[in-house]
Amino acid sequence: MNKPLPLPLFTLLVCPALLSAQSKSPDLSGYWELRFDSRNVPPASLIVPATAAERAAQVKHDADAIRWCHFFGVPYMMAWSPVEIVQNTNGKEIAITSPVRTPARHIYTDGRPHVSAETFDPTSTGNSIGHWEGETLVVDTIGFSEEGILAIPGGGTRTATSHLIERFRLLNGGQRLSVIFTWEDPKVYATPHTYEFRYYRAPPGTEAREFDCNASDAERAKFLTSIPGK
Amino acid sequence: MLGAGGDWLMNQRFRNTVVKGSAGAALMALALGASASLLLAQSAPAKVPDLSGFWERRDDVGGGNFGGILEKIVPKASLTPEVVKANQETAARQAQGEVVAFGSKWCLSNLYPFFMQHSAAWDLFQTQTEIMQAAEVHTFPRHIYLDGRKHPSPAMLVPTVNGHSIGHWEGETLVVDTIGFVGGGGTPGGGRVGKNTHLTERFKLIDGGKKLSVVFTWEDPAIYLKPHTYELQYYKSEPGTYAFEETCHADDPKQSGSVVAPGQKY
Repeated sequence: MNKPLPLPLFTLLVCPALLSAQSKSPDLSGYWELRFDSRNVPPASLIVPATAAERAAQVKHDADAIRWCHFFGVPYMMAWSPVEIVQNTNGKEIAITSPVRTPARHIYTDGRPHVSAETFDPTSTGNSIGHWEGETLVVDTIGFSEEGILAIPGGGTRTATSHLIERFRLLNGGQRLSVIFTWEDPKVYATPHTYEFRYYRAPPGTEAREFDCNASDAERAKFLTSIPGK
Repeated sequence: MLGAGGDWLMNQRFRNTVVKGSAGAALMALALGASASLLLAQSAPAKVPDLSGFWERRDDVGGGNFGGILEKIVPKASLTPEVVKANQETAARQAQGEVVAFGSKWCLSNLYPFFMQHSAAWDLFQTQTEIMQAAEVHTFPRHIYLDGRKHPSPAMLVPTVNGHSIGHWEGETLVVDTIGFVGGGGTPGGGRVGKNTHLTERFKLIDGGKKLSVVFTWEDPAIYLKPHTYELQYYKSEPGTYAFEETCHADDPKQSGSVVAPGQKY
């Protein structure tokens, strides 16, 4: 005859299952390095190739961001080592930090939608929300400003109408991290521009770095703005 | 990871197991108990308080502004004669109209603990091995390592804006130890932060988690006659709070011109 389990037994049986359900998402936390073979970046399909003047203006914009220590933002910050992912234990938010001068990325994974465009003040890292599709973290970002370094690997630039989708997935038993970036922008790309970075997990004990920036350093300014060798 | 361990135990012990009679029930209870004990042991690190989320200062004392609040609640630091003299000289220069700090003009990184006393909320991220604080002001994320590592040796220590921080839990209190500041910053109460300054902080949830208390203790024999201790309390921001970004452009004449006295060379 089947009898209901006593409450203590029921609790013991059910609680582990609940704990398991809460923690099924992979833990991406840690320091991740880009190496010489970490990038697979095809050329982007641009709506209209930029003119020489437009390219020069974009290069100057990004050079000024470095000269004057602006926030660099996305995607530039993702191309440095090490980047760190801090995945809140409570599952509600994930941060990504970079050693370059840029704010941390905040990826909200608590189910909220994007902040409305009427409310959100655009930023160099945008407004990011994420969710898990199996073992893949899918991050959706809009709300970019024109702050910082705008160049996108493979061609094109980040604009106020850019839409970035990233898919984060652990490989090789957690020793590597694949991030597939897909940029969409009706003003820039004829087709979605997709490229992939594969980061290596940094050794234990790796620490964050601060590549600080001092716009008042005259020698630094001279180096960045002069013609080499002259 | 914890759940995976639980699944493994469940799979190994109970998959395809037929339990009949009182002996079987006793065996099952024993096995479940063992499973639960292991799970509890595995989950022990997760029992520490969850400090994550956005935290913000508010005016509980009628300070009128965030600087005014600090003046009301933070005691004056007991400074060495050398620092007192240097402060007096700086004050005299300021009284004559000289601008003595150019961090704002050049958008230099705000040195710790600036963002902890700023009006903007900051966001705390928490894992079992690290805590990271992300501020909206011009500074770098602050990393607090909880994995048992030590501070680097003096020869290997690279001074940074936020210093090198390691932490551990004492019951429900997170104790953070920081050295390795670049120096040049200040603290509430008139203190200073030098390259050899040592900071101890105690983070603790209060009011049922609605507030976070942080007790700061600064020590540096070249600056303080005795440890400079004060407490700041932060309110948990509303659910749905999101980060802003405080930009600063040193090449904007309005930014750079805002802090330069007329006729001043620098």
